[in-house]
Amino acid sequence: MKKLTVLITLIFFSLSAFAQMDFSGEWAPVYHEDAADRIPGPELGDYMGLPLNSAALLRAQSWEAGQISLMQNQCRPHSSDYGMRGLGNMRVTRDLDDAQEWVAFKTFIAAWGSERTIWMDGREHPPEYAEYTFQGFSSAVWEGNTLVVTTTHQKANYHRRNGVPSSDQRIITEYWTRHGDVLTVVTAVDDPVFFTEPLVRSQNWVLDLGQQQSSFYCEYVGELPELVDGKVPHYLPGENPYLDEIATTYGIPIEVLSGGAEKMYPEYQLVMPEAESSPLMCTVLCNCQGFADC
Amino acid sequence: MKINRHKFHCFTLLISLMASAYTFAQRGAPPVPPQTPREAALIDLTGVWVSVISEDWRWRMLTPLRGDFANIPLNAEGKRVGMAWDPEQDRAFGLECKAYGAANLMRVPGRLEISWEDDQTLAIRTDAGNQTRRLHFNESTMPSEPQSLQGYSMANWEKPLGTGDGSFTPPFFGARVGTAPRSLEVSTSNLTGGYLRKNGVPYSDQTTVQEFFDYHVLPNGEEWFTVTTIVRDPVYLRTAYITSTDFKKQNDMSGWNPSPCSAE
Repeated sequence: MKKLTVLITLIFFSLSAFAQMDFSGEWAPVYHEDAADRIPGPELGDYMGLPLNSAALLRAQSWEAGQISLMQNQCRPHSSDYGMRGLGNMRVTRDLDDAQEWVAFKTFIAAWGSERTIWMDGREHPPEYAEYTFQGFSSAVWEGNTLVVTTTHQKANYHRRNGVPSSDQRIITEYWTRHGDVLTVVTAVDDPVFFTEPLVRSQNWVLDLGQQQSSFYCEYVGELPELVDGKVPHYLPGENPYLDEIATTYGIPIEVLSGGAEKMYPEYQLVMPEAESSPLMCTVLCNCQGFADC
Repeated sequence: MKINRHKFHCFTLLISLMASAYTFAQRGAPPVPPQTPREAALIDLTGVWVSVISEDWRWRMLTPLRGDFANIPLNAEGKRVGMAWDPEQDRAFGLECKAYGAANLMRVPGRLEISWEDDQTLAIRTDAGNQTRRLHFNESTMPSEPQSLQGYSMANWEKPLGTGDGSFTPPFFGARVGTAPRSLEVSTSNLTGGYLRKNGVPYSDQTTVQEFFDYHVLPNGEEWFTVTTIVRDPVYLRTAYITSTDFKKQNDMSGWNPSPCSAE
């Protein structure tokens, strides 16, 4: 009887002992694309590569960097979509239940101590009236060895941290694929309020076994004396004097700065105007590709 | 519950029979001819694809300024050579295609046409620069050929995760999930040197390129593939240079715009 019990127990428990692609571990982001945008931060007026509609462009061009100093914005974290592209040293852990079923995995990103739970137990997304958070609600399913993550219920925030707004109606689909010690996450952001088409980008990490992330804290302080009486720093339409700076710095045609989906396709090169002026060589952020170089 | 010795033996016999049947099915099945790489394709990459420039826009859509090495882990020698970039000289010597080699071709804005040339060879044609890459399957050694701009690419479909070839599932075990392979893996070497960027960022003839092609369908039905590219160059790079480049499937060849290489 004892033998039979053991045998049956072994058999039935083995049914749930699935093997799956494992993303657990410490991951260091690779900044070999858009490093200057992601580490020190984007240039003012740089909306290149974003499928912005006119509402998004108007919001972005009226943004003034002093908004970051508003009390309510000082400790505002990245949302989970931007966080995966921004300062993204990341730890991934698995949550297993008592039956060793993979219930969820969790990500921790040091910047703002952002934690996200990605549910893998098939639970439904909450109703539309449920709480919206910076990390949102994420669930995932497998497609082969690629994990497909869907995230909803994110607060309105930013697609690029130079004032490009994101709406709380956006839906993010991520495709996590691991090739040895390289993790590639493709991110498709569908924002019906501010984009004319989904924004598809991809980020890479390398496994970094020695990585030790620190805790994050943020305190609110009065940073700018002029921010009193509820004043919100801004530029009225057409009055932002800094939008063209990047064009002069890098020899870029002013027309391209405003972004838009039509400029994200190769054929735009056929109609792209010449730069109004161009320096002889690069002088700003010319070697930016990591914290030490930017 | 009381189970006697007889029932226990019956139960273990049943297990043994199932295991034997499984083993017999594995051994007794008529031999199946091996699939060609084309038949064994894990994902369908054939068709016309356009690169959508949502990353590195100003480094890809424009020719960056001299000395703009941002994002690329160049070493000191790489920077020295990069600063000496001379597009006029490249034109004079017929070297306009140096930015269209295998280490950078997928980063050049344009359209790709991917098709099977035969059962063992997947071809990638580009309209930008009129280049062709050939991905050779089922080859363990590289034939002796002169170095070239596109080098020699050996390809294979990703192997299943875990031990063995993944074909064995013991009786009573559930199917493994989250392990089924989906990628195309490509290793390229035998390259002539070239540029990682239009502004003369160099890679040497000792460079190797490792690529992983992954296919996704967006919720809106659009088909995309992403190629993760790892460039290793002991001469000009400090570390591996890792990028991932995204392509959207097109319905037809409209937009296909063959154009010669340009030095700037």
